[in-house]
Order: sequence, then structure tokens, then C-alpha cells
Amino acid sequence: MIQTSTEPVIEIQALEKRFGKENVLQGIDLSIEPGQVVGLIGTNGSGKTTLIKCLLGLLRKSGGCSKVFGVDSWDLAELQKSRLGYVSQEFAILPWMKVEAMCDYTGAFYEKWEYHLVRRLLREWNLNGDKRVGALSVGQRQKLAVILAMGHRPELLILDEPVASLDPVARRQFLQSLIEFTEQDKNTILFSTHITSDLERVASHLAMLKQGRIAYFGELESLKDRCKRLRIFSDQPLPKDFAIPGAIHCEINENHALAAIPDFNYETVSQISSRWNVQVQVEDLNLEEIFLELNGIRSETNDAEAN
Amino acid sequence: MTILPSQFEIHPSSGVPIYRQVIEQVRAFLLGGHLQVGEMLPSVRQMASELGVNPMTISKAYARLEVEGVVERVRGKGMMIKLQTTSGNVKQRQSELSSAVRSAILRGRQLGLSDQQILHVVNKFLKENPQ
Repeated sequence: MIQTSTEPVIEIQALEKRFGKENVLQGIDLSIEPGQVVGLIGTNGSGKTTLIKCLLGLLRKSGGCSKVFGVDSWDLAELQKSRLGYVSQEFAILPWMKVEAMCDYTGAFYEKWEYHLVRRLLREWNLNGDKRVGALSVGQRQKLAVILAMGHRPELLILDEPVASLDPVARRQFLQSLIEFTEQDKNTILFSTHITSDLERVASHLAMLKQGRIAYFGELESLKDRCKRLRIFSDQPLPKDFAIPGAIHCEINENHALAAIPDFNYETVSQISSRWNVQVQVEDLNLEEIFLELNGIRSETNDAEAN
Repeated sequence: MTILPSQFEIHPSSGVPIYRQVIEQVRAFLLGGHLQVGEMLPSVRQMASELGVNPMTISKAYARLEVEGVVERVRGKGMMIKLQTTSGNVKQRQSELSSAVRSAILRGRQLGLSDQQILHVVNKFLKENPQ
């Protein structure tokens, strides 16, 4: 077996960022290893973009430590920058340039540039190389930004809401190229998004930002294994002191209760059912529902009322 | 006859982790006789790119199937079907069964059946399907 180095690509410890009196990042700890595809989610204003900008040295941190490829974010040099690709939300372009010229222009900044890959992606994503960049739609610009970020075959891709303006077809193509990108074992991706179904396809890990801290970081699939909804039925009205240890929330409605728990196992369920003499049904939650639950919003829509 | 990635039906947003969906469907193909001993599963790469999911997720599913003894890693070729259904130790196979039994028992409780009455039904089916 080949011994692989597991030195993290991204290492963040107790990272803080303040804007005036506002503490946007309040002690972020996050370590991302080679090969991981990490989805960064969080409500609007939770600090996703600030985190990414501090990580890339585009914003100066207020405290803590942040490293990319083992180098302090503020001191990233050409060598490290040539190993990473970044797509920001506000993508600066030269409107008078044609798409293909824009690609060549960007390529000139890099020692190695994959003209073939770039042309293929332009073709696959239906971007006309002769069109002026200024005439592109928001979605098309976003596609171009992603292609430009991949042209030098980086090992690390950092994408700040890359798909927000893409139509479903383009999003699927984008995901496909991310999957292709991850076929290189050591390639790493960090991307923020609100589209949880995209994350469910491509992410291996999930980092959830909440109030300036990481509320969850871990394997996406194990999060789904652990975070469940319990539906509880009882013959009699449930007692006043009925409670489920560790539940994110628990809603009691006479004979029924509905709870979301972050750390599911069958033992808990049998304990609940024997202690309170109730029946317990376990339901799977998808990422969107988990996200809502962890942010304190009940994910379940009441079908009975809707009908 | 081999299985193609397109024969898998993966729902990324269903709440069931994708690797579990893959595992369950491989098992179903086996039980249904669509996969025979000696046949190969599609490669991780094929699966990931055709189903549009992370390759690590497919690897994880395959690794689990390997641990359970359902498939065997063949150098340079991929994953080969090793065993037909009966695999893993008794404990593993019991845990495999437990979710089906649980929901059956919950249903029985909802119908207001006693322990004895539920066991009666279970025993009836055990008799109908001897070892």
C-alpha cells in the first residue's frame, strides 16, 4: 500500500474576522485534506464569502490562523496561487474582449495552460468563443469564470456560489466537470452554494457555517446516516415531561410527537419506546431538511393542513 | 449480461445516503438474478460520471460490499461478484434484516396486535419458508 501524505490542503484555526463592530467569523476551525470535495453552506450573511476571502488572502484576518498548501493565507506566493483556481461572486472581466481572447489572455498569466481543455469546455458549455465578453448573460459569465479557473489544472478549486445563475442544464454540466476534476485523486474542492441537491451529488464533506462558527463539519453521507426525524405515537396523551435527549427540537401534540435528532441509533429508539411506551417511526432527512433543522426551522410541511 | 450504470436509480436528495442506495441496488440485482458470480460491477469512474455523483461515494459503496464479501477486488479489473446473497457473519445478516422486521412490528403495533399475535404471523411465514 502506498503511504500517502495527509497534510491538509486548507488549515484554519480559530480564525476571526471583524468588520468594525461586527464579528463575522468568530473562531473558525476547519481542516480540508487532499481529495475532499467540501460543500460550504450557511444562511445569507453567515460568513461564507468572508471565510473564502480570508482563506485566499483577499481579506486580512482579525485573529487566528489560516493556511493554504501549508502557507499563511496572507503570504500566498505565485507557486501556491498557480496550484489553485478561484471563482468569486463578483467576477471581473474585460467587456471588450472576445471569449476566446479572454481565455488566451488569462492563460498567459500561467506557466502551464491547457488550451485543449479550455476549448473543450467552451464547446461543451455552449460558449461562443467569438462573442464579446460584455455581451454574455450573467449565467454565461459564470460559466466562463469557472472555465478560466480550471484552465491551469489547479489542484484546489475554490468556488463562491458558482452555480447561482446557471440553468439546470448548465448546472448539471458544471457538476459533471467537477466530478471529472475529482477523478484526479488529490484534487480538492471547496465550494459554497445554496443548492443542496448539487451538494448531495458531488460533495464528499459538508461544512455548515452558523453565526460565524462551523456548526458541522464531516462526511456528508454520515450526516445523513445520523440526522433523522422521529415520529412518535402513543395510545395516551404524552406526559408533560416527555423529552428526547439530544433532540434538535421536539414538538409534542397530544398523542404525537415529532423530533429531529442529530445522532441517531437504534438503541436510542428502543430506549424511547420502552421508557415512554410509545411507537417510534424513523424517517430519513435530505440535506435541505437537515440544513433547515440545524438552523432551527422545522423542515416538515404539514400535509394534513395543506390538504 | 452485465449491469450498466444506467440501470442504477440514484436519488441524491432522497435522504438515504447515496452509498446505501448503491449497496441496496447491487443486492437487489443479485437477488433478482441480474448479477451472477464472476460478473463485474461497472467501474467507479463509469458509475460516478454516468450517475453524476462523487466517485468517493461509489468507492465507499464498493468497499462496503467488499467487506461484506459480496464482491471481490480484482487487480486491474475492478469489482467482481463473489457471493450470491448469503454473505457476512450472522450478526451482519441480522442487522441487514432488522429494519424490515422493525417496520413490520411497528405496523403490527399500529394494528393493535399483541406480542403473541405478531409472533403467530411471524411463525406462520417461517413455516411457509423452511430453511
